[in-house]
Amino acid sequence: MNNKKEKNVILTTLEGVPGQTIMEHYGLVQGSTIRAKHIGKDIMASFKNIVGGELKGYTELLQESRKEALERMVEQATELGANAVVNIRFSTSSVAQGVAELFAYGTAVKVES
Amino acid sequence: MDALVQILFFVVLLILGYFWGRYFEKRHYKSILRREKKTLNIPIVNFGAKQSLIDVQEAALFAGSVVISIDYFKMISAAFRNLVGGRVTVYESLLDRGRREALLRMKEDAIKWGANQILNVRLETATIGGSSGNNSGPGSIEVIAYGTGVK
Amino acid sequence: MKYIPKKIPEGINVTSRHPLLNFAYLLGTVVAVSIFIFVVLGFVAEWLVIRVSPETETQIGDMLVQPALDKEITDDKRIQYIEELLNSLLIPGETTRLPLQVHLINNDVINAAITVGGHVLVHTALLETVKSENELALVLGHELGHFQAHDPLKSLGRSLVFLTVSSILGVGMSQSGGLPKIIPLTSELTNLNYSRIQERAADIYGFNRVVKHYGHGGHSLDFFERLAKGESKLQKVSQYFLTHPLSQDRINDLNAEAAKQGWKMEEEVTPLPQWLHCSNMKPCEQAE
Repeated sequence: MNNKKEKNVILTTLEGVPGQTIMEHYGLVQGSTIRAKHIGKDIMASFKNIVGGELKGYTELLQESRKEALERMVEQATELGANAVVNIRFSTSSVAQGVAELFAYGTAVKVES
Repeated sequence: MDALVQILFFVVLLILGYFWGRYFEKRHYKSILRREKKTLNIPIVNFGAKQSLIDVQEAALFAGSVVISIDYFKMISAAFRNLVGGRVTVYESLLDRGRREALLRMKEDAIKWGANQILNVRLETATIGGSSGNNSGPGSIEVIAYGTGVK
Repeated sequence: MKYIPKKIPEGINVTSRHPLLNFAYLLGTVVAVSIFIFVVLGFVAEWLVIRVSPETETQIGDMLVQPALDKEITDDKRIQYIEELLNSLLIPGETTRLPLQVHLINNDVINAAITVGGHVLVHTALLETVKSENELALVLGHELGHFQAHDPLKSLGRSLVFLTVSSILGVGMSQSGGLPKIIPLTSELTNLNYSRIQERAADIYGFNRVVKHYGHGGHSLDFFERLAKGESKLQKVSQYFLTHPLSQDRINDLNAEAAKQGWKMEEEVTPLPQWLHCSNMKPCEQAE
């Protein structure tokens, strides 16, 4: 997960982009995706629940979903004409049984070096 | 008869959960310790947002995440603990492993990119509902660590 | 600001207590507390429930017995015979707190039971299986023993306590990730053990009355002996989970009791009236 996105939007959790100055800012941009658990993965996971250990299926699923949330946020930012999103935060919340929302938000800015 | 079968089933799951759970945990800790030692030279800090930006070439977002499941033994121990009250010691190692694993994954990703430090790191933990379906018990946890790598 | 890499020591966030030790402590606490609760509450419930007035007991009994009377056979001479046999078992001067009512149930399961309110349920299959009056008398005496000891009422009281407590605990359980049925199981086992004590007492009572009635205990155990032959090994393993003791154990217990009291066990058999297994004690049709 890095900035090899379309149009090279810089993403950071800092309040600016190091080595560059913020010229303009366009307010908050958000990306979110809601995913349900996959039944096949769920069956595997219920076996894993007996012996413990990492649930690789879920890790991948959530990583993928989080990437999608991030991409949506970047899409919002590029629409606004930003070339960076700063102060990014993630959050996960379970909406219903077996359904989770993955959410990313940050501030869209235009930076220049 | 029914009760006997139920008890047997329960005991078998418990033993299975205990030994496999212990095995996975030991193996995981071993790997965590090894990788932590290897990556120790790259600092990760959770400051960086409220001070003047450091002078670097590039910055990028990195995230690492892991979903870890509890084993049956831990689940039962915690369920009993829920009735008795007090410190749920069996979950401590679970969350500890999850956090350290997530941090390591983020760190390793950033090192591959060439980061020399990771700033403003945030950690978040979420529970993924129990996979047994009918309850929302802590079946497994997801830990995500994210921060800005700079070089 | 210079970064100095340092390793964080282990075991600060994770308690080093052995998980098995922790588990043993938790299991022990939960089991001990649930046994304590069920024993104490069980006895409180019993203490209250045997103070129920006979009128109330009749009302409760009528209500509870209703579903069992689906296949009741009425207007049958066998009922009268069983009633007479039952009353003859009472020693002179002994009374039941409520008049006993015999119900004959058309059922293929070999069984007899007594409920709250003095309803004696006798399955037709039992009448087809018994081979002498002595055998039938012991079964009826056993049920009589339950009634005289207030056992049906007590078990009703206990199950009410059991239901209440487990539904209260059930609230906590649903949140704790599918707690196994260890608490219901513990209390079930406690209750079963208790119920076997009641069964033994009822056996001794019934046997005592049979000996008083016939002057000896001979042939009354034949019925259990035939049952014992049919019991498989599997049942022996799970004996702890049966409410009734195994037939062989019951026979041994009763023989020991007879030896202790000096009761005679080798005497003539009292025959059953002919055609006891046939409706109205008339010869059954060939088709049967």
